Amino acid sequence: MSMFRASLYIVVCTARNRLRVRLRRLREPRYLIGAIVGAAYLYFTFFARMRATRGEVRRRGTGAPPMLALAAVRGSAPGAVGLALMTMTALGWLLPFDSGLLDFSEAEIQFLFPAPVSRRALLIHRMIRSQIGLLFGGVIIGVAMPTFSGYARLRAGIAMWLLLCTAKVYFTGISLARARLGSGDARARRVAWVPVVTLTAALVIVGTAVFRAFARQTVANVQDVLIRIGEVATTGLPAVVLWPFIAVARPLFAPWAGPYLVALGWAALVMAATVVWVLQSDAAFQDAAAEVADRRSRQPEAPRASYRATSNGWALAPTGRPEIAFAWKAAMQTVRLVDKRSLLRIAVLLVGLMVAATTLGRGGGVASTLGAFSIVATLFTVLVAPQIVRVDLRQDLRHLELLKTWPVRPSAVVRGEMLWPGVLITGIAWTAIAVAFVASDAVFPQVRVGWRLASGVAMAIVAPALVFAQLTIHNGMALIFPAWVPLGDQRPRGLDAMGQRLITLTATWLTLVAGALPGAIAGGVIWFALWRLAGPAALVPAAGVGAAILMLEVLLATEALGPAYERLDVMAVERSE
Amino acid sequence: MAITVEHLSRTYASSSGTFTAVDDLSFHVAPGEIVGLIGPNGAGKTTTLRSLAGILRPTRGRVRIDAHDIVEAPIEAKRCLAFMPDEPHLFEYLTIAEHLRLVARLYGVEDFDRRCAVLIEELQLTGKEQSLPGELSRGMRQKAVIACGLVRTATTLLFDEPLTGLDPIGIRRMRNTIVSRARDGAAILLSSHLLHLVEEICSRVIIMDRGRKIADGTFAELASRADLASAGSSLEQIFLRVTGNDAPAGQP
Repeated sequence: MSMFRASLYIVVCTARNRLRVRLRRLREPRYLIGAIVGAAYLYFTFFARMRATRGEVRRRGTGAPPMLALAAVRGSAPGAVGLALMTMTALGWLLPFDSGLLDFSEAEIQFLFPAPVSRRALLIHRMIRSQIGLLFGGVIIGVAMPTFSGYARLRAGIAMWLLLCTAKVYFTGISLARARLGSGDARARRVAWVPVVTLTAALVIVGTAVFRAFARQTVANVQDVLIRIGEVATTGLPAVVLWPFIAVARPLFAPWAGPYLVALGWAALVMAATVVWVLQSDAAFQDAAAEVADRRSRQPEAPRASYRATSNGWALAPTGRPEIAFAWKAAMQTVRLVDKRSLLRIAVLLVGLMVAATTLGRGGGVASTLGAFSIVATLFTVLVAPQIVRVDLRQDLRHLELLKTWPVRPSAVVRGEMLWPGVLITGIAWTAIAVAFVASDAVFPQVRVGWRLASGVAMAIVAPALVFAQLTIHNGMALIFPAWVPLGDQRPRGLDAMGQRLITLTATWLTLVAGALPGAIAGGVIWFALWRLAGPAALVPAAGVGAAILMLEVLLATEALGPAYERLDVMAVERSE
Repeated sequence: MAITVEHLSRTYASSSGTFTAVDDLSFHVAPGEIVGLIGPNGAGKTTTLRSLAGILRPTRGRVRIDAHDIVEAPIEAKRCLAFMPDEPHLFEYLTIAEHLRLVARLYGVEDFDRRCAVLIEELQLTGKEQSLPGELSRGMRQKAVIACGLVRTATTLLFDEPLTGLDPIGIRRMRNTIVSRARDGAAILLSSHLLHLVEEICSRVIIMDRGRKIADGTFAELASRADLASAGSSLEQIFLRVTGNDAPAGQP
């Protein structure tokens, strides 16, 4: 009980001090501007839109809340969400997913581990500590709920909180059980296999039923999908197997008051059972906690990512351009972060999704699914991946103290830092483009092969320029406004941080558009000059000219960023929030 | 002179105002000389070393490494120096051998394999070459950082608390390493709170307090100063006197 009170005390004090720090930092203009932008975003995204819709409904004289629009799918939605939860559970076993519940902070290890408290009490402490984040998740869902009623929002928020709590604890249980699979104790290993075997059997039962439901005829629309899933989830053995998952999801859709309260009770029961299951894993928890403590004590400032020293055939040559040395360094980071087994699991997952998508139909078979997937993947890789893949200065500014001592031209540092992520993203984009071209006949049967080929080649030419242009902007932002860009593994939170992210994202996109404009205009001119003569092939030189101009801009920008790197103060980067 | 510092000042700006960490500091270190930089916490030692290493830009003043200005000719200056910080900064995804190889490439080190083997043995890193920093103790990581600094032939070596985390054998070896590099002609500036170490290996000492230099000279010169004559002959006694901390307990 004393530990429970201590946990509550820590939670309350932490929340209060965090709020105080966030309010205090509003004295800095960048945080104040960020807070204003973040608040405006929230207002215009949720509240203003809701008020506008409410006004419109009043004018029309119909008071039916949009929530009723869900009534049509209310019967099958819990089944669909339950099925999704079951799939996520299977993925939790398949992929090295970490719920973060065992991610003890340095202070927790230092103060609580030597304290006379049981490991179970520590686990409960972590569960209490995670409540603020989970409650926030519940609030967000409540606010985003398409309804006018405050009570409906509250109900949705509570239901979501319960679901998130259960998921967090359950995924921790998976982590512990997975650790037990490799235990030296044969009995512990046998016990650990029980949930794996149970889940596999459940997946087979439900998977077979889903396959039968969708194999009999082509899917007409989304509603049809939901209805069929609803049938699977409410009949026969699959209904029994899916029950715990559906029970957790049902409060989100149950009407007030009786059905909602009953559903809430069942969901709470599932959560309680999950907590008991995890608390039973005491020995495994001890091992996991000890491992966390050991890891932390050995490397207190290490980022969350864990690396493994794997041998590879790429040794850095003793001489050559410094840019290549930087690229090699980043490549080693990627190679050591990406686990081969994880890659295999992801590949299995992608193939599974592909098969599922093909089974669900839309009529075109594997080729059209593959083609459509590749086109989306290309666009995502070229336009979004440079934002996500941060194996460049955005991560390395943590090591600025070391980088600054190296006798390397600043512009070479900037180019070197961008080289590997640029090559990596371009490689993935080119692969996706090649696959898209191969499958393009099925996706765009009405488009001639000449057009498809020219478009593919043009996209392949433009892709690296767009990728490197974005990387230049992101790295430039990190150098010029280090306080505005989350560096390394930092994930600043709060309204002001959200506003800052929105501002930097908008600035990035505006800069990209402005930077790409000269190349686009020049490429357009080439296209208009040649297309009557060369037809679709004119796309290729047009793309070439556009990409060349953009790459020239990238080169000039990296040179221009040199002084910014030179001037960048270590203190500007090191200052924590 | 290998290290020349003239009127170096470094000011930090914060939301609560400005803070001068180093104020009008001037000194020099000759080749082959080991100079100890000592002072109480917050005296500005690390800021001074970071300014010399090109990590922090001086707010005012000049720093020259082998006659190269660290601001105007940073690449030439950095090529001549090696900075070993108190906190071992290593890339968590590169092994120790790969760190050495990377540094060797960036500094254009010839005969890397032989130098690397000698250093690994000298710093007792044998068997740890293929380890990632996360797999090593703090002391081992500290040795790895020092190995990265010594893998090239630097004429200027800057050590910030080089013995932190080392075991007694490691301390003895490190002491010998520093002395041998000075014998080879390197100018060494060493910051440490271990006054007996400074006394043992340094030929001269600079004492800082609140960003300013308050004493500079050999032990004999400091001991013969009129205001320090009564302090005693040990560096600790001199240090306590010049920093105004030698009053007996109970006295202000």
